[in-house]
Amino acid sequence: MGAMPQAPSPQPTTHTHFLASASPTPHIPMDIDDILASVDRGPGASPAAAGIDHQLLTRFWVAERAVSEVLPWPAPLMERMMDRVRLQIETIEDLAASSADVDPNTTHNPNLNLRLSILQTDLARTQYLIRSILRARLAKLTKHSMHYLVHLASRTKNPLSQSQSQSQSQSQSAVPQDSVPDISAVSDFSPLSAQESTFVHAHQSLLAGHYGSAFMGAFPPQLRRLDDNAGGTSMVQGPDLKEVVFVRCLGTEVPVLVDGEEEDFGVTMRMGDVWVVRWEGGEGGVEEGEVELL
Amino acid sequence: MAFPLPRGITPSEIAFLAEMEMVTIMPRQRLEGLELLGGPIEPIVPPRRASLPLWLALLLKRQRRANILPPSWLHPGSLELILDIEAHHNDYRHAFSPPPPLPGQPNVRELARGHEPVARPQYTPDGERYFASPPFLPQNAAESNFDPTQVPSLPFHWVEISSMLLDAASDDLTDPDQIRRLLKDIREVRMAKMRAGVDVLDAAATGGGGVALTGVGAMELGEERGFLSGAVDNLRKIGASKEQARREQMAEQRANGGYDATQDEEEDYMEF
Repeated sequence: MGAMPQAPSPQPTTHTHFLASASPTPHIPMDIDDILASVDRGPGASPAAAGIDHQLLTRFWVAERAVSEVLPWPAPLMERMMDRVRLQIETIEDLAASSADVDPNTTHNPNLNLRLSILQTDLARTQYLIRSILRARLAKLTKHSMHYLVHLASRTKNPLSQSQSQSQSQSQSAVPQDSVPDISAVSDFSPLSAQESTFVHAHQSLLAGHYGSAFMGAFPPQLRRLDDNAGGTSMVQGPDLKEVVFVRCLGTEVPVLVDGEEEDFGVTMRMGDVWVVRWEGGEGGVEEGEVELL
Repeated sequence: MAFPLPRGITPSEIAFLAEMEMVTIMPRQRLEGLELLGGPIEPIVPPRRASLPLWLALLLKRQRRANILPPSWLHPGSLELILDIEAHHNDYRHAFSPPPPLPGQPNVRELARGHEPVARPQYTPDGERYFASPPFLPQNAAESNFDPTQVPSLPFHWVEISSMLLDAASDDLTDPDQIRRLLKDIREVRMAKMRAGVDVLDAAATGGGGVALTGVGAMELGEERGFLSGAVDNLRKIGASKEQARREQMAEQRANGGYDATQDEEEDYMEF
């Protein structure tokens, strides 16, 4: 097994990202160990940023497909991946153009077509991952759009004024559109990306408008809201956080949490173990990176 | 509908994931190094062995540009040993045979000698800790010098990798028919264990509880995922009121001054 190149990836964008994020020093001494260790562990554990990012993207894809709620959007990772995809498309186009120029009889690089097909396969695989992530997230967002909008709107500075405006609109001419929470003042869209929040707001507004014109307009005004919580039961449904997931423990020891807390009766997962646990019990470990979803 | 697939990756997605596993090849021609989105590929120079992701190795194999060196566990000898452990070893009568250790995790023999597992993180470009796991560990590399102290073990993606290699590169394997037979036997023994394990699923239905499936393969998980999660979710709904009662009792105990002081106060409370 040959040693991997130890320098960071020569792609310029990768390099700047790598340096920029490495500036607060704490983990720099580790880098040398990691490089040495990665020589032992082979190319799968290469420190090259592109390889790690690919592994992170793959893990995020599996996780996003495994749970019922939308996971926090990994903005820096996705930006780096999109930059790389863009660069790779340019590289492939340049290569393809150069292969078209060369006279097929005097071709000096017999591997050109092979390299092109490898690069294209690799690109298609990465694009598939990204597309699948986005589609899975969109499906969850459309299924629970109201839940995520309420969640985002609850972050605005003044929740009181919001509820007041809601009660005012409830008076005479309430239409379902009124119950779509206003997220224009929200700046932190977590767990969604900015585009996703725009989408989910537009989606819910269209849906509410359609419901209003299709059948809700015939209801008495006080029954037209889409976020009614009369009788203490909210009609807004969210994802089921108690559903079980399959996880592997990667840290040395990770406890399974109960309602976000460590309880006496919760089991402890050890390194390398695969468990069936509730999503709410494993969520903390997944965020820390000590647990991965399968 | 934005996305019609159910929660949890499907078998074809698991196979896609398995194609990212690194395998060892013996190239028949040169190939320049490539900067792929999945990480850099070193220049390939025959007759030096090289490590490539499985999808790329299969692509080269189909064009007769390389031979795939089978992973060390995919030999009749290793598989016989694994089958023996799965079927007859007392410690693994109700569990899967141990998976290959993660980086920093001691193997079965080191564990017996008292080695402690120490997770070895890498760092992401964002500066966060990252623990590598399959398919990004060299669990399917062909070992140049076979280590007899090393117990062979089935990697996470064993079903997919063996079927893909038997399909596309059976001429590179030693005695593929025998391998097929052994794989089928191993699969049946393990499926029986999976079915027998359904009895304990109730443990995963309570908060903080779980059921261990250590050593399970990705495809085995994929085929049981729908059944297992459906069963556990239904058990949870049945037991919801019981769990609620227990939670309230716990909260009460805590309000009464923690676990140590609960005994007396509990008795006082009972007299009311």
